[in-house]
Amino acid sequence: MSTTSHVVRVSWSAAAALVVASVVTLAAFGWPFFATPTGLGEGASHSTDAPWIFVLVLPLLAAIVLAEVNAGGLDAKAVALLGMLAAVGGALRALSPGAAGLEPSFAVIMLGGRVFGRGFGFVQGALTLFVGALLTGGVGPWLPFQMIAAGWVGFLSGCLPRRLTGWPEVVVLSGLGFVLGLAYGALMNLWFWPFGAYGAGLSYDATAGPATNLESYARYYLATSLAWDLSRGVCTLLLVLLVGRPLLRALRRVSRLAAFEVPVRFEAPELERQETV
Amino acid sequence: MIRFDDVSVTYDGAAVPAIAHVDLHVPEGELVLVMGRTGSGKSTLLRSVNGLVPHFSGGTLRGRVLVDGRDTATHPPRELADVVGFVGQDPVSGFVTDNVEDELAYGMESLGLPPATMRKRVEETLDLLGLADLRGRPLANLSSGQQQRVAIGSVLTTHPRVLVLDEPTSALDPLAAEDVLSTLQRLVHDLGMTVVLAEHRLERVVQHADRVVWLPGDAEPLVEGDPADVLARTPIAPPVVELGRAAGWSPLPLTVRDARRRSTELRDRLAGVHPPEHVAPALGAPVAEAKDLVAGYGKRVVVDGVTATVRRGEIVALMGRNGAGKSTLLKCLVGIHRPRSGRVEVGRVGLVPQVPADILYAATVADECATSDKERRLPHGTTVACFDRLAPGVPGDRHPRDLSEGQRLTLALAVVLAPEPELVLLDEPTRGLDYDAKRRLVGVLTGLARAGHGVVLATHDVELVAELATRVIVLADGQVVADGSAPDVVVSSPAFAPQVAKVMAPQRWLTAHDVEAAL
Repeated sequence: MSTTSHVVRVSWSAAAALVVASVVTLAAFGWPFFATPTGLGEGASHSTDAPWIFVLVLPLLAAIVLAEVNAGGLDAKAVALLGMLAAVGGALRALSPGAAGLEPSFAVIMLGGRVFGRGFGFVQGALTLFVGALLTGGVGPWLPFQMIAAGWVGFLSGCLPRRLTGWPEVVVLSGLGFVLGLAYGALMNLWFWPFGAYGAGLSYDATAGPATNLESYARYYLATSLAWDLSRGVCTLLLVLLVGRPLLRALRRVSRLAAFEVPVRFEAPELERQETV
Repeated sequence: MIRFDDVSVTYDGAAVPAIAHVDLHVPEGELVLVMGRTGSGKSTLLRSVNGLVPHFSGGTLRGRVLVDGRDTATHPPRELADVVGFVGQDPVSGFVTDNVEDELAYGMESLGLPPATMRKRVEETLDLLGLADLRGRPLANLSSGQQQRVAIGSVLTTHPRVLVLDEPTSALDPLAAEDVLSTLQRLVHDLGMTVVLAEHRLERVVQHADRVVWLPGDAEPLVEGDPADVLARTPIAPPVVELGRAAGWSPLPLTVRDARRRSTELRDRLAGVHPPEHVAPALGAPVAEAKDLVAGYGKRVVVDGVTATVRRGEIVALMGRNGAGKSTLLKCLVGIHRPRSGRVEVGRVGLVPQVPADILYAATVADECATSDKERRLPHGTTVACFDRLAPGVPGDRHPRDLSEGQRLTLALAVVLAPEPELVLLDEPTRGLDYDAKRRLVGVLTGLARAGHGVVLATHDVELVAELATRVIVLADGQVVADGSAPDVVVSSPAFAPQVAKVMAPQRWLTAHDVEAAL
């Protein structure tokens, strides 16, 4: 049995939707570093962007799932599993909604992505954050950013080489968990960073160039969110190290029992006989 | 109604088909009993009816399955949901909602029926299955028999024309199983539904079957026909049928009543023969002694002044209704429940619990055995050798939860037996076991007693007691109400008498095997 199955197959249409959704989100995160300096006032124009992206991204995400369904890649088994893992992750978020950077749901998303493949990982990550937000009342303009970013966490975990097994697999996964824990925080700051004033050299300046803004952001990141993100990274790393092996084994057993990638074939009877029905 | 045309199913990666060249036609209104040992392809056959095989399981289905004129190749399970209702082994794993009424309505909701219809059908089903008193109850608080009845009800509300049940009683204790089977019998008689049923407890259902399909396993062709005809050829049969075979009756009796009416001559013939006594060949030193034992939970007293001794070489059956204190007494003997007063003296003792998976933790059979060796400081390989002796040929990389009920029980038994305890306790060991596994268990336990171990089993299974026990203790309300040899205790009891004893009474024959040996 392979270490990663492809429970949600990323077909061409789905891949296209995924790429568009990711690009839009990246743009939404990264515009401060690409935008040419303008003389216009304090990023006021962008304050209306977030809801706009929210409106845009969610249908895109839905489009991904729908594209999968149409391609026949998302059967009842995958829906059940997706629902269960997203609920577990969401409940974990409700227990500890990112307080002090502790984010146990990340480990679940990563392990799910690793076992059931990148397409599944993406949808699981996004749904986990969505369910968590519903449970904690954390629905807001930040939600689509979180959903896509968590989707990437699941997607990247599903992209690790298949031949990794045993302890090396868990170690690599936990290492990736640490990196993703940091990166997730660095990205998530960006959705609000341009709109606030944090003092000289820390804030977004619409009139300055991308390089200056990048530098300001780096300073802002080190000064404010690094501690939180470090604890998220470390938490994910330790959790994956601690529960990774038994959970991977349990999820793989589910994967095997549900026979996700087993082809379904029908063959005609050896002798075609007279129909009497 | 159901038609299999030369159907073979091969699962992915399997060398041999699970079922091969099955031709079967089930007309409307028939009750078909599917029998065969674990792994003979019963589940595959049943799951092919509503398309779960191969749509859900994967694999290749050669041939054609038609249900109510619909081909399962072109109709996935969801398009057969209004025709076929499917009930599995473990009701709890299939529940979607939290209480009885919601669960009954869920299937109809999925099919998009109007609320007025749903309301009406829920009421009808509650009455039909005798669930009206339980309507608002949380599913988790029901007994296992009630849960399985709700599971049956939840597929009946969609008014399927075919009901498929895959060993609906094998995860239940015997009393709950009775509850479910009598409900089923009523359904067949009152509604005239087409029912396909796989079941181990043949003695309860075979008399209601219009036809029996026997899967011999190992891809041998299936045998189908009239129950009495098929049972004449199968290696597994209810005791009353075995008695009929021993006596050479034809057609074979399927019920105690049939057999009783035919047995006058047999009883005359055996009148002078003394039935075997069912006592231990050699009794050794006591391995467990309980004196005035009192135990309970909170204020409730469950075991109330029990005094008993178990000796080496004895197989003691502990009988009595649910809640009579059987399990608690076993727990006191093994030392995991502290008695309130009284004295317990036991040597080295091991308990196989009611759910064998409760003592199995590891991810593979091999791991489980290795852990067991390590924890008990046994030489490496002791447990695995014990397991191989009891159930040869189980791959070591299998997950304990993926084993059949019988294999899992045997694994738990191996873990308990590896350190060679003087006393082995088993709590309801035959639940979910097919006849083969039961026969093997009987062999194992008899061997243990002969080797000088003491064995105590708490069970409702009267046929097992008839075959195995050298002594029977009946508990009621925590007190010993009968204690004696198996024939003394069970023959006259309407509740505990095995089928053969009921046929042969007042002569004290317990098993068809005894009768056969005497003839």
